[in-house]
Amino acid sequence: MTGMKKNCAAGGYGLVREILRNLSKDFSVEFRTRFALNVSIAFAVTATVSVSLTAGGVPFPSLVQSILLWMIIFFSAMNGLSHIFVREEDQATALFLRITMSADSIFISKFIYNQSFMMIVLAVVTPLFLFFLQVKVILISYFVLTILSGGLSIAAGATILAAMVAKAGGKGSLFSILSFPLLLPVLWVSIFATKNSLDGARPADYNSLVFLLAFSGFISAISFLLFRFVWIED
Amino acid sequence: MLIRQVIKSFYILMPLAILMAFLWAPSAEILGDFSRIIYFHVPLAWVSVLAFLVSGVLSAAYLFDKKQRYPWLDEKAFNSASIGMAFALLAVITGSLWAKLTWGSFWNWDPRETSIVVILLIYIAYFSLRSALAGNDRRGVIGSSYLILAMMTLPFFVFLAPRIYDSLHPETIINADRTPHLDDRMRMTLLISIFAFTSLYAYILHLMNRALAVAKRLEEEYHAAD
Repeated sequence: MTGMKKNCAAGGYGLVREILRNLSKDFSVEFRTRFALNVSIAFAVTATVSVSLTAGGVPFPSLVQSILLWMIIFFSAMNGLSHIFVREEDQATALFLRITMSADSIFISKFIYNQSFMMIVLAVVTPLFLFFLQVKVILISYFVLTILSGGLSIAAGATILAAMVAKAGGKGSLFSILSFPLLLPVLWVSIFATKNSLDGARPADYNSLVFLLAFSGFISAISFLLFRFVWIED
Repeated sequence: MLIRQVIKSFYILMPLAILMAFLWAPSAEILGDFSRIIYFHVPLAWVSVLAFLVSGVLSAAYLFDKKQRYPWLDEKAFNSASIGMAFALLAVITGSLWAKLTWGSFWNWDPRETSIVVILLIYIAYFSLRSALAGNDRRGVIGSSYLILAMMTLPFFVFLAPRIYDSLHPETIINADRTPHLDDRMRMTLLISIFAFTSLYAYILHLMNRALAVAKRLEEEYHAAD
């Protein structure tokens, strides 16, 4: 660990400055090529249009619509969420980052980037899906909150897995294989909450949303603690 | 010392559990002799969860043991996860047989069945990750980090999901009135069987860890001879 920056010397203010610097670097590098974003959105459009074309305008039951929506969101996200770490390894900038910034600031900035990326994917996929599959949402606010909380949980869990996959050489479908079972509770709860919002079944309590937010908090905390082991090399 | 005693108890407990399961415990009222599968299915499921927990704990110890006072903890965690995988597969097979006899089909996507499938997928992903990291000196750290994440999600699948969603499975010992609905002899046989399978797990893990130590020593001697 010699020479690696372990803690932010300037304390809390320095940490915030490092996070902002890294975020600004990530946004400019990623949005210069928009590779990950283009791939994710292209996948979402292709999958949505294919499903709609196959259905031939016949509306699906609400459960099938919810499953399809979350499968498209999940796999669109999987096409791009790992890129933020895989790019650092591919372009050999990971070592430079390790030397110049603390593990905590790198994790927080990549986490925020992935959350922003997920929100962009959600903002594109959801209206497309509603339009092409003629989905009628009865409880709009509940639907929006479910989509946002589910997306938040997926991006939260995927960030640490992206760091692990980058160390494994970013091999093909490994990221989806690692993420799918760990994020299945999120998909499970999100699908049923989305179905309820489409059916107009207003829940007495908002347990699904509480679960999704709690899962995000829980997985983010564990990821934050584990990240320094994955990131810092002896 | 305690571990050695547990391992030795396997030689007595396992034959005793088999004899009690087939000869001493009474058969259930409706299910008849089919119910005897409980003495194998439940302990297999318990040991698989225990093995996964042990692999998570060993992984955490590996990450914090920076001076490597305890050698090859990541490989020991891998051994425990492998045993957990084998036991989980056996629990699925015995559970499917039992489901066919009682509910009429091998698979019903009951919350407990769904949970075990997801747990199997998580550990298949772990084995894929380790394979992808073959030859990489970060294999131990990354594999261990994933095992800790996997261990943290286990409570959701093992304890929460089967209690949140309606299940075909009978209520477990932790049920609404907090009492096991089993005849005394059945309960005793189940307990002995759980201890027997736990000692079997300890026995296999001990053997695998000894084989690992021998392999590492041979490797060191081979490199020293070069």
